[in-house]
Amino acid sequence: MRFFRKKQGIGKAGAGWSLFAGVVSLIYFFPVLWIILTAFKTRTDTLSIPPKFIFTPTFDNFIAVFYRSAASSQDAASTGFELYFFNSIFIAGTSVILALIIGTLASYGFSRHPLRGNDTYLFVILTTRMLPPIIAIIPIFLMFRLSGLSGTYIGIILLYTAFNLPFSIWMIKSFFDEISTDVEDAARMDGSRDRGVFFKICLPQVKAGLAATAVFALILTWNEFLFALLLTGTDTRTVPVQMARTLGGEIGVDWGLLAAIVTIFLIPVFAVTYMLQNHLLRGVTFGTVKK
Amino acid sequence: MTTLNSNATEQQSPTFGFWVWLMAPERRGALLITPAIVLLFAMNILPLMWSFGLSFFRYRANRLNPPEFLGWDNMFRNYEKVTSSSAIWDSFQTTAIIVAGSVTLQVIIGFLLALMFAREFPFRKILLSMVLTPMMLSFVAVGVFFKFFYEPSFGLLSQAIRVFTGEPYILLGTKWGSIWGIIIADAWMWSPFVMLLVLAGLVSVPKYLYEAADIDRASWFRRFRTITFPYIKSLLLLAVLFRTIETFKLFDLVYIITEGGPGSATETLSVYVYRQGFQYFRTSDASALGYILLFVVIVLTNLYLYVVNRRSEEL
Amino acid sequence: MSFISKTMSAVAAGGIALSALTGMSMSSALAKDIVIKMAAPDWGPTRLMQDMATKQYKAKSGNNVTLEIDFIPWPSFYERVAASLSSGEKKYQMVVSDSQWLGAFIEGGHFAKLNTYIDADPELQALMKDLHPALIKAYSTYPTGADAYYGFPQMPDSYPTWYRKDLFCNAKEQAAYKAKYSRTLPCTYDDWKDVDWKDWKNIGSFFVRAKGEALGDGVAENDFYGTAYQAGKGYDFSSCQINSFIWQWGGDIWDEKNEPTGQAEGVVNSPSNVEAFQAYLDILPNSPPIWKTGQMDIFAVQDQFMQGNVAAVIDWAGLADPVLDASKSKVHDKVAFALNPGKRRADGSINRVAQIGGQPFVLTTWNDDEVMKEALDIVKWFLSTPVQKQFVEGGFLSGLQSVMAWDGHDAARPWNRAHREVIGELKDFWRIPEFFELLTQQQQEFDKAITGQISAKEALDNIAEFQQSLLEDAGRIK
Repeated sequence: MRFFRKKQGIGKAGAGWSLFAGVVSLIYFFPVLWIILTAFKTRTDTLSIPPKFIFTPTFDNFIAVFYRSAASSQDAASTGFELYFFNSIFIAGTSVILALIIGTLASYGFSRHPLRGNDTYLFVILTTRMLPPIIAIIPIFLMFRLSGLSGTYIGIILLYTAFNLPFSIWMIKSFFDEISTDVEDAARMDGSRDRGVFFKICLPQVKAGLAATAVFALILTWNEFLFALLLTGTDTRTVPVQMARTLGGEIGVDWGLLAAIVTIFLIPVFAVTYMLQNHLLRGVTFGTVKK
Repeated sequence: MTTLNSNATEQQSPTFGFWVWLMAPERRGALLITPAIVLLFAMNILPLMWSFGLSFFRYRANRLNPPEFLGWDNMFRNYEKVTSSSAIWDSFQTTAIIVAGSVTLQVIIGFLLALMFAREFPFRKILLSMVLTPMMLSFVAVGVFFKFFYEPSFGLLSQAIRVFTGEPYILLGTKWGSIWGIIIADAWMWSPFVMLLVLAGLVSVPKYLYEAADIDRASWFRRFRTITFPYIKSLLLLAVLFRTIETFKLFDLVYIITEGGPGSATETLSVYVYRQGFQYFRTSDASALGYILLFVVIVLTNLYLYVVNRRSEEL
Repeated sequence: MSFISKTMSAVAAGGIALSALTGMSMSSALAKDIVIKMAAPDWGPTRLMQDMATKQYKAKSGNNVTLEIDFIPWPSFYERVAASLSSGEKKYQMVVSDSQWLGAFIEGGHFAKLNTYIDADPELQALMKDLHPALIKAYSTYPTGADAYYGFPQMPDSYPTWYRKDLFCNAKEQAAYKAKYSRTLPCTYDDWKDVDWKDWKNIGSFFVRAKGEALGDGVAENDFYGTAYQAGKGYDFSSCQINSFIWQWGGDIWDEKNEPTGQAEGVVNSPSNVEAFQAYLDILPNSPPIWKTGQMDIFAVQDQFMQGNVAAVIDWAGLADPVLDASKSKVHDKVAFALNPGKRRADGSINRVAQIGGQPFVLTTWNDDEVMKEALDIVKWFLSTPVQKQFVEGGFLSGLQSVMAWDGHDAARPWNRAHREVIGELKDFWRIPEFFELLTQQQQEFDKAITGQISAKEALDNIAEFQQSLLEDAGRIK
């Protein structure tokens, strides 16, 4: 009890805490670890009873991510995974950046220049996230077809940006709301222009919020399946759609192949999250918290 | 970014009259939110309005017949039809149970994990990244692998339990087992989300407050309530709000892990709407159903926000 | 001759004038680029079709025709096709469709009726004549059996018995089985011809062994189970097997033949249907434990068999190829195939009427005459005897009687003989536009019975009640 008490809140902890956190994290991470291990297993090893922790790794699953063995002939055809991977990075990356820019502007507006009916606007924005997407799918599909956006990068990017806006706005706004306006006002007194205040004073203070928003927006977009399935063309298809091909065909779920795609597909988001971590954990406010 | 050029353009010639008008401080707020509103309107609100309109028509999207208005007398017929089915109330219940169970678990686990990471220690960064990975996975992957973990012959869960009981363990054979199976997968996936938001609050608590509390010999609970909680409150609120909304829509995990079974025991609202809209092609019924759901969620959200705001005024 | 007449009719006079003016050779100037886009599930039979078309197909019209298949993952195939068709995207000229979807998309105006084309084309008439009548009925006609044709078999399918010949032909097991049931444990293809559901049930309970008990000449490495067949809630998985029971017991899944005076009440829940469903349920406990979750679908059955956990299963021939693959299957050298079991008639013969599997491919209504003609030429090419023989050699099945009669057919894959012998006995679901509602509700009720929540009778009563009101609303029964 004493141990916990002492360390409550932010502070430093030693190797003992590392060990404890390591065990907990490993347990939590175990299903992911199992997926990664599965990527190196043959189907028989995957389905082995009892489960195999030690096995001879195979790279066949990773090869199968990029090449399919043709049905009739020996020539292995490309699965087009590189293109899908690029599409995923391009579409998710662009829409996250767009959502961050548009969302930051809007949340700054909502926070610092409230309109009449500010809360109503905010709430309406939130309601767009409340419905099961299946309701809107036929209209969106129709709209995309009529506007020629179907199968284009720009269409799916705009759609994903719109998906990410409600969360981005609410999230970033809550960070803007937390920081005191004293510093901003002081800067304005000193003759700083709005732009300067925004970039030099406001933005750095909500860095953690921006980082967190970026991570969540990226994760949601990165893994979106339904709209990607319906609204992308052969050239703009993303990896999650490709993932569905491992779920059944001549054989049930191809666990190894799915795991291999998941593993490869995890690397970029993992890397981005890891890199953004310093910002994520820097804390929200630097002690200038509003009451 | 254009909005920020305001001061630079102010000094320029009167030909920029419109620009000056546009950039006037009283229009600042509207201008800043315009891009967001425009995009949301085009991509989300418009299609939703379209389906709102459809909910007053007779229409099946897989037929060539155009939508046919139900008439002013019985324009709510689709709504009546949808609410009179008993299956929908069962799904409401199932969904409520899953949302309540999963969000509670997410908050508890997320909170505990955040407390664990709310200090500096060796390897913290990599361990934190590991704990964050579940939410980076796609629903498809989580669904497929959890279903696999639950599989009675090959699954890890069954095999682990077998070691003790000698019998294969069949989690998904009963209603409650299936609900637990879904809740565990969803909570595992999204607790890191709650953790991250809580953590962001925790690390921003100024240290001197704790030092002062130490001097006062304040109790653990008192310290938490008076120092820690105010810092994480708004973020926790946000986390709960978003997780509730997202879990309410939960589809892929349910559809993959149980397909709504056994029987219709885990048929959630999303699965129900999916069947109406996409398998049965009762497009207008599905739209009506969607708007009933939206209404419920709006009421609940407002209630939640109201309670939270009242509380924060009291504190 | 036909080449010239076709090109002449297809081409406007202006084109000829232009080619004369520019001095280009006639054939290249007249050749038009036409792309036939087909929506298809991503799996072997469609991959091979694409492969052969790319390498071998040359349009007889002289146009530059390419078949371009849009491969869509199986699990999302229905969503993608339904969204495309219902939004009026008009993207596909051909579509591979599950047979039970036909009604929905024909009545929706998406799939084209082909009668006028068939009437005008002796080659197509010959083709229709060569196709197996059961397949024409299930894959082409709508309403079922009517004189209106829509589709052609892309991959016909049926479910034979897959069994472990190392166990069924094992002397010890044979002796033990004989002692216990005074029947022969079926070993050869011909032995299996005499297996009815009673035998199947005996076989099932006979082969259930706990880990470590004797099995064949060794011991069971893991818990071992007797039999398995589809009992999954997803899509059509349990219905596909239960329908067969219902038909074999002499019942029907509804009174479709008497539409609109037929009924669901009293037909769907008739005493013989209840008995049939009960017989189906009684056999399930011999299966691997996954059956208790209501998720023993076609893939679970396949996996249990490939991992060597079960002695005999009934599953689609279309899923049998991986069983022979040593990298995926532990039983690749121990498997044999036979006819599916059935119900014994009074005269001792076996009634093995069963659910048809597989998919037809169809043409869409928005194709203009020229595209239609080219698409039908692709159909004729794909369903020509030499191409279908290659298709069979590639491991898949053909709907042509001439190909089924060919020596190479049965030799190509070990399940082909069973498929050929049962194909005349295959029937299909209802294929009316309301099929998905009928199917989903039925699957749900079946699943409740499978997982022990309700009895067979209750399930069928619920189904009958639902179908009666749904079909009345739809105006299909009075």
